[in-house]
Amino acid sequence: MKDLLQSVCDRAKQYGASFADVRVYESEHTSITRQDGRADKLSQGTIRGLGIRVLKDHAWGFASVSGFDRDKVFEALDAAISMAEASAIRSEEAVVAEIEGIQDEVRAKVQIDPRSVGVEKKMVRLESYEQAAAKVAGDKLSNSIVSYSDFVSRETVCNTMGTLVIEETIRTFLSTVITVKDGSLLQKARARVGEPIGFELLEKTSSEEFTVKAANTALSLLAASPPPAGKFPVVFHPSITGLLTHEAFGHNAEADHILSGTSIIAGKLGEKIASELVTIIDDSTIPHKWGSYKYDSEGTPGKRRILVEHGVLKGYMHNLETAAKLGVSPNGSARAQDYSSRPIIRMSNTFIAPGESTFEELIHDIDNGIYLKGGEYGYVMCERGQFTCHAGEAFMIRNGEIAERLRDVSVAGLTLETLMNIDAVANDFEMKMPGFCGKNGQRMYVDNGGPHVRVRELVVGGRA
Amino acid sequence: MDVDLLKTLATIACEAAISGGAEFADVGAWNTRSLAVDIRANTIKSCDASRHAAISVRAIYRGGTGWSSTDKMDEDSAIEAGKKAAALAKLAEPDPDFISLVAPAENYAEVPGLADPAIETMDIRSIIKYAIENIDSALEVSSEAIVEGGFSAQYNASAIVNSLGVSLGNESSCIGGYTMVVIRRGDDVGSFYDFDSARVLEDFAPDGIGARAAQKALKFLGARKIETQRMPIILGPMAASSVFNSIVLNADAEDVQRGRSFMAGKVGEKIASDIITITDDPLIPRGLASRPWDSEGAPSKPLIVVENGILKTYLYSSYTAGKAKVAVTGHGTRSGNAVPSNIVPKLGSMTSEEIIRSTKRGLYIDIGGIAPNSTTGDVSRTVDFGFVIENGELAYPVASTMIGGNFLDMLRNVDAISSDYREEPGTIMPTIRIQDVLVAGGR
Repeated sequence: MKDLLQSVCDRAKQYGASFADVRVYESEHTSITRQDGRADKLSQGTIRGLGIRVLKDHAWGFASVSGFDRDKVFEALDAAISMAEASAIRSEEAVVAEIEGIQDEVRAKVQIDPRSVGVEKKMVRLESYEQAAAKVAGDKLSNSIVSYSDFVSRETVCNTMGTLVIEETIRTFLSTVITVKDGSLLQKARARVGEPIGFELLEKTSSEEFTVKAANTALSLLAASPPPAGKFPVVFHPSITGLLTHEAFGHNAEADHILSGTSIIAGKLGEKIASELVTIIDDSTIPHKWGSYKYDSEGTPGKRRILVEHGVLKGYMHNLETAAKLGVSPNGSARAQDYSSRPIIRMSNTFIAPGESTFEELIHDIDNGIYLKGGEYGYVMCERGQFTCHAGEAFMIRNGEIAERLRDVSVAGLTLETLMNIDAVANDFEMKMPGFCGKNGQRMYVDNGGPHVRVRELVVGGRA
Repeated sequence: MDVDLLKTLATIACEAAISGGAEFADVGAWNTRSLAVDIRANTIKSCDASRHAAISVRAIYRGGTGWSSTDKMDEDSAIEAGKKAAALAKLAEPDPDFISLVAPAENYAEVPGLADPAIETMDIRSIIKYAIENIDSALEVSSEAIVEGGFSAQYNASAIVNSLGVSLGNESSCIGGYTMVVIRRGDDVGSFYDFDSARVLEDFAPDGIGARAAQKALKFLGARKIETQRMPIILGPMAASSVFNSIVLNADAEDVQRGRSFMAGKVGEKIASDIITITDDPLIPRGLASRPWDSEGAPSKPLIVVENGILKTYLYSSYTAGKAKVAVTGHGTRSGNAVPSNIVPKLGSMTSEEIIRSTKRGLYIDIGGIAPNSTTGDVSRTVDFGFVIENGELAYPVASTMIGGNFLDMLRNVDAISSDYREEPGTIMPTIRIQDVLVAGGR
């Protein structure tokens, strides 16, 4: 395989490419879905293919093909070259940073390779998770779903600068949705756990921190009130801090958005863009975190990237191209979903660093505010810096204390205004939001988190 | 790889699943070629070509299901996938609610215009031309425009084969493009999106996507915060279309039967205002979501989902239809949930302009919607592209604005559907008005 990749790179240069990379992606997965007392859906599959990217006359071309048939691979190279030649009619003067080639092979370090564990054993563990939730929910249980997936992937990156990096990754993921009912009233809650480790994830994950937690949340939502609508001081649980950091800020710090002028922080490097209590980091080197990796999909080592330090914008997430254009070193932020996608700039594990306040201090002087918990999803209109975060769980804060429970709450705001309005950051920390971020049609493993933070004022999309 | 070859591989995989002990099996096989042009900051970021093929086997044993997929398109790999799916099905726990996969129908409707040979043979340069024309048309509207987006063409061959004798295959094509135009004046930013897509080249109308997005992006400059209040909201064609989609998507029998849908027990009940009637029509010639059969091989036919505000039916797959002891509706997928086809709402009598003009104060939403929590029906959504309506006219764009409420309450408050509409092949997109919606503002 290495010879094939090297000869593709050599041929690309003969065709006049100033840069080319070939990326082989192979993966296999096993999934089990247990629902309403039965693990009746089992799935296994494989993906294998190759993507070729060429830079010719400062224009990019890309082609991908399933499988590794030698003739088809060289047909794909021809296609990539002709795609680059076509792009050149209105290209953007693309360049890549000159880097020293890296040769390395990284094996996944797991205690129990999920491929060595039979499907039956995985099913037994899921049954115990589901039964624990069913016991808690009792006759209020309406629907329970517990899902398990393991992914074993191997990405090989070979480029014309001499890089040949092979990285194997094993990821294991658990998710659950528990729906409960009271008369005609239904409520649901979710939980998920995921790490780049093997079957040991199931051995160390208790039902209490997974399905039972979801069941208890769903039950408590049955008695929750609809949220009020309007402007409120808001305290974020670390899961919502994570969503805010990822959605509102993180996407804007992807250097492709900076270069295209569609980021609200373009041209603000060195400027104060957030409260001085705010330090934001994206770090792909944290062991056992869902968004971690050693090399990105361009073969550049991942790094700890300080994006905002005490409120001042310090840097962006880069690929080889944005680093060259902005005159900085690449920091290993380019990732591709699989062989059929081009590497694009992605976040890894993104968080706000802890501050000095206690949680009690955060809520102490709020007369009428909202505490958002249970981060579910969010999105951003990057170019306008308008974000939305959705919480599965929330509480009113009244006279400095956590009061009644609310259900289904979304908040919206403007990124820069919100970052400036963070007026307290707690000294706690949690990053337990393993998930998948979508960008340009590609899904990528990410995690996010932080401490509890307080925002002076945000809009709540209420129903009362 | 042509349809006959895909059918042959699918049949081999299906037979392997049955010989491996499955009681039922179905196999999807497809081969896709696509060309795409990616636009970033008024330039061509990249042109991409791809070719992908795959086989996916579903095997069923006592109701338990095993899936296996591969992208190796040869007989040995098809057999291996079939056997693996059967082995997984036998490991899966039995599901007594499973009755049967679909039997072959006597007739499948002919749907003209699903595949256009002109798209199959398209050259990347033709697609680039669309991209450049739309970058330039946006720049003609405003030299400040930053145009992002993409244009692509796709040609697909697919087959579905099952152990009851279904053996179907066809070709399909799609061409489409979108632009997102951003206009930045200091920290004030306006942006907007437009698109066009079609099954056949003749229906593709990419002209003006860039210019229209740029004109609208200019109008979104100077967004203001508003006060929290109850008011009517008017959803323009793109936003209203997502409301009709949400209604049909939430009528999926799978979620209802599993006890996790706010639509449970609502068939025969009034779920929306009298003026809402929605047909799911998979047989519209050249329709973007048209199909002669669903992903399981059940024949497609038009289905009235909501009539004069009353929910008439859920959308069924072979599994959910068997469980409910009703006929399939032609919305099945091989992975569980139902998928609607072309959603066609009944039109009203006022024009969209009359609806806006007759609204003294309200909120107009261009893109977005009121998609609910599928379990509770609660709505809590941000208005990303909205205008305040003052005295019957769009006055200024809004920022930090949200809408909240209950989906069914909102549907009951729909008091106008326009007579004019935006049309994409197979889809009718009118404007609608919903009275008395709680709008949360940041002022």
